[in-house]
Amino acid sequence: MTKYVSRILACALILLGLAPAAALAQTVVSGTVRGSNGSPLANAVVSIQSLRVGATTDAEGRYRFTVPSTAPGQAAVTVRRIGYLPGTATISLAGGSVNQDFTLNVSATELAEVVVTALGVERQRSKLGTAQQQLNAGELNTTRAQNLVQQMQGKVAGVQITSPGTQGGSTNVIIRGQNSITGNNQPLFIVDGVAVSNANRGGAPFVGSNTNFDYGNALSDINPDDIETLSVLKGPNAAAIYGSRAANGVILITTRKGRNTNGRIRTELNTNFTFESPAILPTFQNGYGQGAEGEFEWLDGNYGGVNDGVDESWGPKLDGRLICQFTSPGAGTDNCQATPWIAHPDNVKDFFRTGMTASTTLAVSGGVDRAFGRLSLGADNVRGVFPNNLFQRRTAALTGTFRASNKLTADGSVQYIHNGGRNRPGVGYSGRNPLQSMFNWFGRQVDIEALRDYGKGGASNGGPTTREFNWNYSYHNNPFWQMQENPQLDDRDRLIGSIALNYKVANGLNAQLRTGSDIYRLGIQQYYNRGAEEFVNLTYNGGFRFVNDYRNDNNTDLTITGNKQLASWLEVSAVAGGNLRREYFSSNSQETPGILVQGIYNPSNAAIAPTIAQQIVRREVQGVYGSAAFTLNNWWTVEGTARNDWSSTLPVDANSYFYPSVNTSIVVTDAIPSLRGSFLGSLKLRGAIARVGSDAPVYSLVPVFFGNAQRFGTQPQYALDTRLANADLKPEITRSNEVGAELSLFNNRVTLDASAYSKSTRNQIFDVEISGASGFDKKWINAGEISNKGIESLLTLNLFQSRTGFSWNTTLNFAHNKSEVVDLAPDVQTIVLGTGGFGDVVVEARKGEPYGAIRGYKFERDDAGNILVEDGFPVRAPSLEVLGSIQPKWTGGWSNQISFRNFALNTLLDVKHGGKLYSVTNMFGEYAGVLKETLKGRENDWNDPGVVVEGIDVATGQPNTTSITAEEYYHGLFGYTERYVYDASYVKLREVRFSYNLPGSWANKFLGARAASIAITGRNLRMWTKVPNIDPEFAYSSRNDQGIEVNMSPNPRSWGFNVRIIP
Amino acid sequence: MTYRKIAGLGAVMVLGISACHTDKLVNVNEDPNNPTSAPPQAVFTYATRISMQRWYGSNPTNMRGPVLTAQHLAQVQYPDEDQYLRLDGTVTNNSFIFTYAQELKNFQAVIDAGTEQNEPLYWGPAQIMRSLIFGYVTDVWGDIPYSQALKGDAEDAIILPAYDAQKDVYAGLFKDLSDAVTAIAGAPSSAKSLGGADPIYAGNKLKWQRFANSLRARHAMRLANVDPTTAKAQIAAAIAAPGGLIASNADNALMKWPGDGVYDNPWAANNRTRDDHRLSNSLMNEMIPVGDPRTGVYAQPTLCFTNPAGTGCPANPPQYAGMPNALTAAQAGNYSLTSSRPGRVFYSTNRFCSGCSGLTGASFPSFVMTYAEVSFILAEAAERGWIAGSAAAFYEQGIRASMEQWGVTSASAINTFLAQPSIAYQGGTAGQRQIALQKWIALYTDGVEAWAEWRRTCVPATIKPGPAAIINTVPRRYQYSTREHSVNASNVDAATSRLVGGADTFQARMYWDSAPTAAPTYPGASCGVR
Repeated sequence: MTKYVSRILACALILLGLAPAAALAQTVVSGTVRGSNGSPLANAVVSIQSLRVGATTDAEGRYRFTVPSTAPGQAAVTVRRIGYLPGTATISLAGGSVNQDFTLNVSATELAEVVVTALGVERQRSKLGTAQQQLNAGELNTTRAQNLVQQMQGKVAGVQITSPGTQGGSTNVIIRGQNSITGNNQPLFIVDGVAVSNANRGGAPFVGSNTNFDYGNALSDINPDDIETLSVLKGPNAAAIYGSRAANGVILITTRKGRNTNGRIRTELNTNFTFESPAILPTFQNGYGQGAEGEFEWLDGNYGGVNDGVDESWGPKLDGRLICQFTSPGAGTDNCQATPWIAHPDNVKDFFRTGMTASTTLAVSGGVDRAFGRLSLGADNVRGVFPNNLFQRRTAALTGTFRASNKLTADGSVQYIHNGGRNRPGVGYSGRNPLQSMFNWFGRQVDIEALRDYGKGGASNGGPTTREFNWNYSYHNNPFWQMQENPQLDDRDRLIGSIALNYKVANGLNAQLRTGSDIYRLGIQQYYNRGAEEFVNLTYNGGFRFVNDYRNDNNTDLTITGNKQLASWLEVSAVAGGNLRREYFSSNSQETPGILVQGIYNPSNAAIAPTIAQQIVRREVQGVYGSAAFTLNNWWTVEGTARNDWSSTLPVDANSYFYPSVNTSIVVTDAIPSLRGSFLGSLKLRGAIARVGSDAPVYSLVPVFFGNAQRFGTQPQYALDTRLANADLKPEITRSNEVGAELSLFNNRVTLDASAYSKSTRNQIFDVEISGASGFDKKWINAGEISNKGIESLLTLNLFQSRTGFSWNTTLNFAHNKSEVVDLAPDVQTIVLGTGGFGDVVVEARKGEPYGAIRGYKFERDDAGNILVEDGFPVRAPSLEVLGSIQPKWTGGWSNQISFRNFALNTLLDVKHGGKLYSVTNMFGEYAGVLKETLKGRENDWNDPGVVVEGIDVATGQPNTTSITAEEYYHGLFGYTERYVYDASYVKLREVRFSYNLPGSWANKFLGARAASIAITGRNLRMWTKVPNIDPEFAYSSRNDQGIEVNMSPNPRSWGFNVRIIP
Repeated sequence: MTYRKIAGLGAVMVLGISACHTDKLVNVNEDPNNPTSAPPQAVFTYATRISMQRWYGSNPTNMRGPVLTAQHLAQVQYPDEDQYLRLDGTVTNNSFIFTYAQELKNFQAVIDAGTEQNEPLYWGPAQIMRSLIFGYVTDVWGDIPYSQALKGDAEDAIILPAYDAQKDVYAGLFKDLSDAVTAIAGAPSSAKSLGGADPIYAGNKLKWQRFANSLRARHAMRLANVDPTTAKAQIAAAIAAPGGLIASNADNALMKWPGDGVYDNPWAANNRTRDDHRLSNSLMNEMIPVGDPRTGVYAQPTLCFTNPAGTGCPANPPQYAGMPNALTAAQAGNYSLTSSRPGRVFYSTNRFCSGCSGLTGASFPSFVMTYAEVSFILAEAAERGWIAGSAAAFYEQGIRASMEQWGVTSASAINTFLAQPSIAYQGGTAGQRQIALQKWIALYTDGVEAWAEWRRTCVPATIKPGPAAIINTVPRRYQYSTREHSVNASNVDAATSRLVGGADTFQARMYWDSAPTAAPTYPGASCGVR
């Protein structure tokens, strides 16, 4: 096995051009690292930085690495480990072996911790003047989610992550509130120095045919098992040097690398197996079946019988009376034999199946002193909770380092990913979303089991011959038929690669040239069978839609970094660099709602000429940047950064823009050592000011005509863009200020990291609605301002630590953000971000309100707050009013780690408090009479006793006494937005992990590993919320119109097992 | 040495950056997908197609609006628009915006390009279409942006256009149409034709002139009550203009749909998946008692007539029947089996068309302006004494033209129909009512025109809001777009203040609808009041 693996590794290294160089008279450095109490320390990094050699200690605290013969005589060996002060020793490299042991002191603070900062530079926390939070692999991978971003949920203060509204869908990430009115509000993701696309082809609550599937965001391609650390740079201050892409913060991912292992191969394994089920389903009524006004009788399911086309549950009482139904013998004929009219309480629940996820990563790493690498192979297979829905991901990642000389080192990295989905359910208010019928329009008497045999065809119960067997032929498709016979395929093949050349110009002065590309091809195939209600022209035998996307983002950076101790009291580190970014995106699509021969999804089989479209997007940004940090006496650091960008999307005479930032950090307890004591361990204060910005959307400067590949008969068509171009656009500018403090108390038992920030984005580029009579719908302008102010804190408590091996750590994070749309364009009060589809609800950026104001219709009330009633019905207010916003008051997380000897229990509660949502599932669930609360008014019979709305009758001024039927009442509530707006707060038991760590000696003996563990894990196990029937957490994509829930598929609850072997 | 290396690296960087000229950045931002100018013919095709889809489709400007307020159809399920519930400025917002931004602006682009290229047969038809659409817009909303409209990209851009009084809009339309006719008539033989890019007349010069003149007569007759002098003069001018009026059904302005599944007749496209409409009692009650031969074309037999044994069917179900407008959803549903769906010519699948086969509804044309309508205009003009000729003859010509247009071929059936005492022309005020009624019947599918003519004439007087309508008067206009109220507030406020009552309501009347007692057909102020 090992032999085989090493051959793969060798081949891989050769492929990278990194054949191991022969070593001559080398020096082998080895030793043991211990804590001050004498216990060995695992995971400490021992290295000779100048030579870029080093190793990590094993479970016994041992390390060993080899120094090439070309190295000079004296070298400084440093050792670093989280939670300890670094150690240094000088050794002489004379060949042979050198033994160097270290004893590290527990750092009084976390300030000695080394973290990854902008541009991938590793720095000591004490010198950072900006807020950032870092997660290591263990913290990130407590449990497994389909998208690694979800694994960050609840762990980082100030980062709001919303799970997708459908399995495999997009995750929405917002750091410190939204900055841009209509632009991108998602952070920039960087993997090993390469910006990677997190583009998504997400769905939407209410949009036409093209976006009714959510294909997830591209970041779900990254295998979490390949991640070493993940740093969140929380805003413009920490990320300023990234210039025009820094406004929304940056998430920096560092992947695992190989090390010099003296030729030994180290193997790591991580495998998860979990089961999933919908975490919540609506609570349905089981008293009354399909129909209207208490009546129903099947003939053809299309209004041929009594209300048999009606897809609502206002029919007869489910008391076992005999009624002809779609399943009755002889249904559709004059000889229908009526069958008992009974409820099928689980007819929605039984549609779902138990999902399963199996994911495994196997990695080998190692090498010799001049060349080493890591190869990892990952496979994820997900069986969705929807029938026939599958996902799979295959990843292969290879990283390697080749040291050509003492001065020149090459690092290479390449990841290949295949990510595919099969038969995703649609999302939003669409016939392609099976939950549209299941959650809202599914007769309570419908026997779901009968629907599994859809193949017997519509004619078997009086329906159309061209249709599948179903319970209704006027509006809906059979949900099983939808999932089985309308294949949806999507496949993304992706290559993320980079190569970096590092040249050591002099001691403390390095130059690096790095170029990296993120390239993917995404193919989407949507097949629609004959009879698929919304997409297919019913005259034809089916339809299809194909999409092919290609994206190539290339970044080339030349950077020079310098580090110099200018005097005993002054250290300088500086960076200067240039960046060239090129983005290319193309998308081609073909679609037709009509094909000739059923089942052949090929343009050559199109009966209706396919619509063909192509879009190409190109962008180029050139930038130069620099930063310099001065550290005085090791306790006061001042850093300044500057960047200038030139973007292709801005007017040629105004395409240059400059961003400066400055930050400072003071370690008060180092400046005034007398402050340090048993109470106060350390205190650091920091502050920062930054300015960053964004360029314009592509092609927004010059007016164009849009063609239409679909000819009118034989005639081509061209139409002027309805958006008015603007040749005078300027970049958006975000200004951000922040202050923070980090302190530790009681011997590091309590640590607190707190920040306060204020940022505002001006000169927003957006397409403002103008008077249509101008001949245009919208116009690109620079205007408006959004501000976000907030605080965030991370409190870590080491509650208990006993000699018997029992320990309890708890971490609380908390963030509060106040968003305000300060200004829009002159005369513009609001920008609509999204609408509810029925004219009764909109989500807006509205002047004076938080970003994402939900507006809709309220009940009309008198001065005392009583609902006004007319003819028995509540009166609706005449115009839309603000009903709340999507912004939570605060978000937080509470994690606990309890360990006893080799057992450990990790839990994480994820909290979102405040914010509103609008729910169509509840709205139509009441309208259609399927939800439990709609039994009100028909306790005795379908219209008995009826509903007497509590309120004041406008005619009499007295309490209303007019009774209306439940059916009239719930129909009458259509358009009363207020009723379906809910407080979206929730508390979720996001993660639970109970693990057993094998004793190190066993791991070593039986597995040849440093450590191994087995665990039981769970995600989303419990939820507490005030919103009825739905999960208040749902995202359609990274779009800005969040907050409108439409038949979302509930987040899966999952539990399962995890095995880890760590080399 | 070290400093030399730094300098060297710095030089490489500077060179590297400066090598990427800003000129090159400009090229990067040139849109490779879309041109900055387009052939006027292709723009004309687009603008015509999108207009006809909007004004003859399932929009608040046809099936979900004027066709219901004119009570040709009623809604058998989801009767919101029938109750006038979803016709407010929020819902009709997009109709207003995109009529300008997609239809009028693109016709304007053809006019501009045609004028620049000196091609009258490009800009002439575009100007006629622009006049048609402006006519719809003003007849739906009243005072509208006209003289300052469509100038968002002009050198002196007007982003917030003022609203012109409807009177001025009409005057402008008369001139626009006259100018277009003169230009087309005078086009040299070398002038380029729109040809196949013109889905209405395939570039036929004479027919465009006749359409334009007929449109001018339509607008003129609309002013009959408020400004008879102008009306009379404009009708005379239209008749005398080069080409004259539409002279037979062969001249009809028909929107011809390819029916290829992509661009189908919008009614047929809607009826393929929706079953929301039935014929209105208002229309059926004028046709069935007199045995109108068009009944079987306008309407399908009721479901109960087709399948009398069906559950829930009464004894002796009617072959054709309408239903009341604006019922509650529950009441309306009761009519699904016993009232008529729109005729089979509006269906391309047999899904909501009982026992239908060989359906060609997808390519059935939309009637934009017809010989029948022109005949009724002439009949009214003759009855008023504005033109020479026999009102009775024009009236009969209109009915016969409509029969032919809707595919009724039996001469005996038509003659029998015409011979009935209630149909035979009576002259005088009664004759005017007959003309108005037959015109309203003939305008089936042309929602805006039928609604406008009802507002002008109050014929038939049976049109009243249904029992569940949210207001007790039939809307006499649409509310201004909510967008206009938010971004063009001062201009729309000025227009609103000119409305009778000063508020942006359904009830405020058009300029041409402001003197109801002047209409000889009017029953009085109770017209259209529940």
